Parts: sequence; C-alpha cells; structure tokens
Amino acid sequence: MLLLQSHSRFLLEALLNRVQNVDKATEVDYHWVEFDDVRYHVQVTMKNPHIVLLSVSLPVPPPETIFIGGLPFGAIEAIKAAYGNVVQILDPPRDGFNLTLKLNLSKLPPNEGSTKNKHALLVKIASVREVVLGAPLRVVLKHLASKTVASDIDQLLALVHRPKESFFLIPQAEKVTVVFPMRFNDSIDTVLATSFLQEFVEARRTAGLNNAPLCMWSSSPPLELKGVPSETLSANAGFVTFVIFPRHVEGKKLDRTVWNLSTFHAYVSYHVKCSEGFMHTRMRRRVESMIRVVLALSFGYFLKTLDRAKPDAEKLKKSTSNKSFKRLSLKDLKDHRSNSMS
Amino acid sequence: MDPTSRPAVVIDNGTGYTKMGFAGNVEPCFILPTVVAVNESFLNQSRSSSKANWLAQYNAGVMADLDFFIGDEAVTKSRSSSTYNLSYPIRHGQVDNWDAMERYWQQCIFNYLRCDPEDHYFLLTESPLTAPESREYTGEIMFETFNVPGLYIAVNSVLALAAGYTTSKCEMTGVVVDVGDGATYVVPVAEGYVIGSSIKSIPIAGKDVTLFIQQLMRERGENVPPEDSFEVARKVKEMYCYTCSDIVKEYNKHDKEPSKYLKQWRGIKPKTGAPYSCDIGYERFLGPEVFFNPEIYSSDFTTPLPAVIDKCIQSAPIDTRRALYKNIVLSGGSTMFKDFHRRLQRDLKKIVDARVLASDARLGGEVKAQPVEVNVVSHAIQRYAVWFGGSVLASTPEFFAACHTKAEYEEYGASICRSNPVFKGMY
Repeated sequence: MLLLQSHSRFLLEALLNRVQNVDKATEVDYHWVEFDDVRYHVQVTMKNPHIVLLSVSLPVPPPETIFIGGLPFGAIEAIKAAYGNVVQILDPPRDGFNLTLKLNLSKLPPNEGSTKNKHALLVKIASVREVVLGAPLRVVLKHLASKTVASDIDQLLALVHRPKESFFLIPQAEKVTVVFPMRFNDSIDTVLATSFLQEFVEARRTAGLNNAPLCMWSSSPPLELKGVPSETLSANAGFVTFVIFPRHVEGKKLDRTVWNLSTFHAYVSYHVKCSEGFMHTRMRRRVESMIRVVLALSFGYFLKTLDRAKPDAEKLKKSTSNKSFKRLSLKDLKDHRSNSMS
Repeated sequence: MDPTSRPAVVIDNGTGYTKMGFAGNVEPCFILPTVVAVNESFLNQSRSSSKANWLAQYNAGVMADLDFFIGDEAVTKSRSSSTYNLSYPIRHGQVDNWDAMERYWQQCIFNYLRCDPEDHYFLLTESPLTAPESREYTGEIMFETFNVPGLYIAVNSVLALAAGYTTSKCEMTGVVVDVGDGATYVVPVAEGYVIGSSIKSIPIAGKDVTLFIQQLMRERGENVPPEDSFEVARKVKEMYCYTCSDIVKEYNKHDKEPSKYLKQWRGIKPKTGAPYSCDIGYERFLGPEVFFNPEIYSSDFTTPLPAVIDKCIQSAPIDTRRALYKNIVLSGGSTMFKDFHRRLQRDLKKIVDARVLASDARLGGEVKAQPVEVNVVSHAIQRYAVWFGGSVLASTPEFFAACHTKAEYEEYGASICRSNPVFKGMY
C-alpha cells in the first residue's frame, strides 16, 4: 500500500453489512479513532434498523483556522452536494462530536440497474472525512480549476489537518501554493522524515514526473508565510511546499488531489514507520547472519577442543583426585610426604 | 493530546485468525486470517545488483518492501498471481517469522484500523507458553518501529476469563480451554495468575479437525477437486459440524434417516469453472469427535480432552481445584461446534464422579465428600472471547497504569516487556 485510501475501511464494511441485512434488526454501536484524531461513532438501534447515525469528531482546530459552527467552512454545502437526500445533518450534533449525520438506508438508490451506483455512494459516505475536512481545500481548488479566483484575495488561508496544527494555502489566480510545516514527536522520526522529504523532492525531478506539482523543501519557513505568527511556524522537519496548477485539479483529479494534500502528513508519517520497519528487517537479518558466523566459529572451536580433550581430561582427573577429601591411611600419608619432599 | 484519552487498540493475533479493534467496543472491527502474501521477486537479491534491482523495481512501479498484502486480500492475491508467496507468521501459537509479523502489524494499523500508532496504547496477546524473549521482540517492534506510547502484552487465557466478566460476576479463577486453529491449551488461572506448571497442551487443534474431515471425504471418494479440498473441508467444518453424545447412536440415526442428516456441498472448480457437488455425511459429527476420541485420528496421542482437563485440574494446587472445576471457560473458534460444551461437561462430570465414588468406597462411607460442581461455561462470543476480554480490560482506567510506557522502554530497555503485571480490573 503506497497511498492511504480515502474511505474508512471499517465504516464501509459496517455500512455494507447494514445494507445487506436491512431487514434484520440488530444493535450496532461502534466507536473508533482514525489517524489525526478523527473519531467516529456509528449507531443503529433496534427500532429503526434502516437509520444509521454517524457522528464524526474532527481534530481540535488551532486558533488561526476558520471554523463555522464546529465545521470547516464549506463543509455543510459539500455534504449536501455529495450525498443528496440520503443524508440529513442533525443539529445540534451528538455530544462530543462535530457532526452527526442521519443516513436513511431505505433512500439509497434502488438495486435494479447497477449496484455500482449504490456501492459508489456508500464508499463516498465512508469517506466522510475527506468531504468534511477537505471542504475548504476543495473550494479553493475548484476556483483554481475554473479560474475564478478573485484577483484580490491573495491572502493566506490556514486549514486544520492535525490536532492543533494547520497547513497553509496561498491562492493566486494561476496557481495555489500549499505549505506544510512538518512536525514529529520522536527524534528518530524527525531525522528520517527530513531525509525522506529531501528524497521526495529529489524524486520529483525524475523524467516521468514532469507534470507533477512542483515540490520544494526548506528547513526555514518559506517567504510566502511572512505574515503568519511565529508560534504556528515551529516545524522540526522543515517545510514542504507544493504548487498546484489548474491541470492538477481538472475533472476527476480534484478529489484525489484534495485527499492527498489533506493527508500529506499522515502519508509521510506512514512511510517513516514503514522505513523503520524495513530497517528493522535488515537489522534482524544481519544479526541472524552474524549469529550464524559465531555459531560456526564456536562449533569449530568445539571440534578443536575435542581433539585435545583426551590428555586434558586425564590431567583434570589427576588434579581433582589430589584435592578431593580422602581418608588417608598412615601409609598414604607417608607416601604423600615423601612425594612432596622429593 | 494525551493518548490515554483515546481508546486503546486491541489486537489478538491467533494462529488462524487475527482479531483487531478498539477497546470499549463489543466486537472486533476486523477478523482476518493471519497470513501475509509477499512479492519476493525483488527481495533477497544479492547486494552487487542492488542498483539494477532498484531500477527494476522502479520500472515495475512497485516498492518491494511495501508490496505485500495481508488477510483475505493475501489469499486472493496469491491465488490470482504466482508472484506472491503466502507466509504464515504464527505457528502453533508462537510467532515464527518476525519480518512477516511486523508487516502484518503494519498493515493492521495503517490499512485496516487506519490509526496513528503514536496516538494509542496497545494491548497485544500471547499464548501462556510464549518465551519471554518473544515478548521482548514484540516490545522492540512496537516501541521502535511504531512508536506506541504504551504497550501491554496479556496472556490470552486470562483475557478469555475476563470475557466472562460482564456476562456474570467477575470471576478470575477458572480453567480456560482454548482450542484455536493451531494450538490447544488447557490453562488453569487462579485470581488472574496463570498456574504455569499445570498448563497442558494437546497436539490436536482446529486444523487437525479440518485435515481429518478432508481425509474422510477423500477416502469416501467424494468428487472434490484436490486443490480445493482443504478449503472445502474447512467450510464443511465451520458450517455443518456438530458434537454428538454417542458415536454409535449417531451412526444409527444417520443410517435410518439419511435425508435428514446428509448435507450437500456445492462448489465451483477453481481451474475449469465447472460446478460440482458432494455429500457430507458422518464427518459432520466425526470431525469434532477427534477431541473426545483422538484415537480415530492419530495413534500418537490418545488422551481425550476431558481427561486432559481433569489431569490439569488435579495437578493444580489443592485449594483451587473446586473453584477450577466450577468455572471451565471455552475460547477459540474450534469450540464453536454445537453442543461442544454439553459433551465436555458430561464427560468431565463422569470422570469426577467416578473419582468421588471411589474415594467414598475407600473411606467406607464414614465421611461423605461434598459433591464437586463441574460447570463448563459457553457464551456467544467464544470466537473472539480473547479479544472481547482485552477490550473490556483495556477500557478500565487501571489498564493505562499497568502498561509499559515508551519512557520506561527508553529508560530500561526491552526487558521490561518480559513481565506484565496483573492489574485491578482483572479480579
């Protein structure tokens, strides 16, 4: 797996399971947490087996991001556009969550024709995180695709992607610049991530990737972030900048670009963990081969000592018999004395 | 934000299936076969050609160390293409291949549970006979590769006992009969502590039942394609097998009313795509009978499961024996056969009663022994009882205090993972 998928695997499975057994009333009550502290809660009651209550809580936003009613701007419109009448937004949401959706499974597109349609909608519901968290990014990139960015808003936008952390957007008429301050908790992770990102930027220069977004890495904040308060700009693994052109967001590419950008940190962190795992594998193999060498050596030594073992053993016997306690008779004593004297 | 405010991740790696999910839920999120399919065409090449190797990989569009699948995906992948090799990281309840295990965990965490391992405490399980070194290895992988903030490695039989925790009162003394796919253990537990010297294991487990069914069907000449016969036998085991009370009577029943007891299996040959069907007869009850009369399957091991349980309890400290007889808990997928617990209880009761009678006769009727209560507990969640017990325990506040934290690991090294304290929620 190179990239993270946009739908939550478990949510999709739970929904599919529900859709297949709509008539069977069962209690469903699951809590789970995804990366970047996105929490989910799914509930189905015995009374209404075709109603699924899906609650989502988003990472705690830092002060510089814009949240309207607990959601990033444009989220409600995005939900409505993506799901239509299958989903109803409950207000206020469940306690401790930012958003509660009421899915009505009986309103799903009917099975006749193609089941693909239905499946696609379920996948879309399972990627609710992409829809909600990616909403502001999507709005900006959509404007870029249709080239309708107002020329006067070249102001900075901060979007939340991790708890109390944000990344920055600089929308311009021809391009959108995205800057990620990269932070890691562990010192080893920081080092690995730094070299990973440098390689990442290097890989952009390969011949096959001419059309990929421009990508830069620097250890200090890039010039575009001049106006930003410095406490939000502390990054221990440097800053990554992507430049997105209209060609990267046209048509179907939009969804993928939004998802890949909004989970860039998770992507890097995943690959850092993978490389640590890979290094472990290598180290384990090395240790094994060294143990084999040691074993071979010690076995060779063992064989050698076996060769010399006979005289050694005899010597050993002598010395031990001298030291062991033995009731001495007078004659022995005499012998012993004469021995020691001579 | 503090990881203790998030639910812990509970992963129960079994020989056959891995159960994983978040603490506090009733069911695991995923139950997957413990198997990894690795594309080895780019791995293990000599170092001299590493540059060429890298180029070849790059041209093929893969990264060798990330090109693998786990679980059901692995099984389908290895069927459809020959570049993937299946490897089973756990054998007979012990981790056998650490590379594969690490990969398996990686996919569990990132692809299936999709969580950041730095955000969650982890609860893993191990069999009661696992060596401490293996716990150290596990700790190393978890803390170094995944940077988990805290780790607890629990003994799976203790967790299986804890699973009964909510259904009745919390009772941490009992015998756990754990019949998994690759290993069968009878583990006595007193007050949350495993009585290590009395653990008994049996070389017959779920896989042997499958093999026995496969053998029976083959000998009868059923029309099953050979490459599929193991899978068919497994399905037959999972869907149709049950425990009978008496073999001879059961044979008679089958012979009298074949229409009622005979089942049909329909399948499609994987190579040609042609449909086939075969009958399922005596193997429906003969499969599970392997545990009660092992001599029908192998000549090496002939002690029936109830006798092994009895021996196990008899070797435990004398003051715990009554409590142990009273609470015999089943766990593992291979205890799911219909009426398995009834048969076990009946056979065990027979052994115990015979012993009580004998001792009464020896004493000449002067002292009457109190009758021994034998009770085999069975519940609906047997298949993932261990996971459920883990989920219950990991959602208690005491769990986080009992975990080894990353700071402790960095201070003392991997050896801290050798022992995992019994904590309050357990008793």
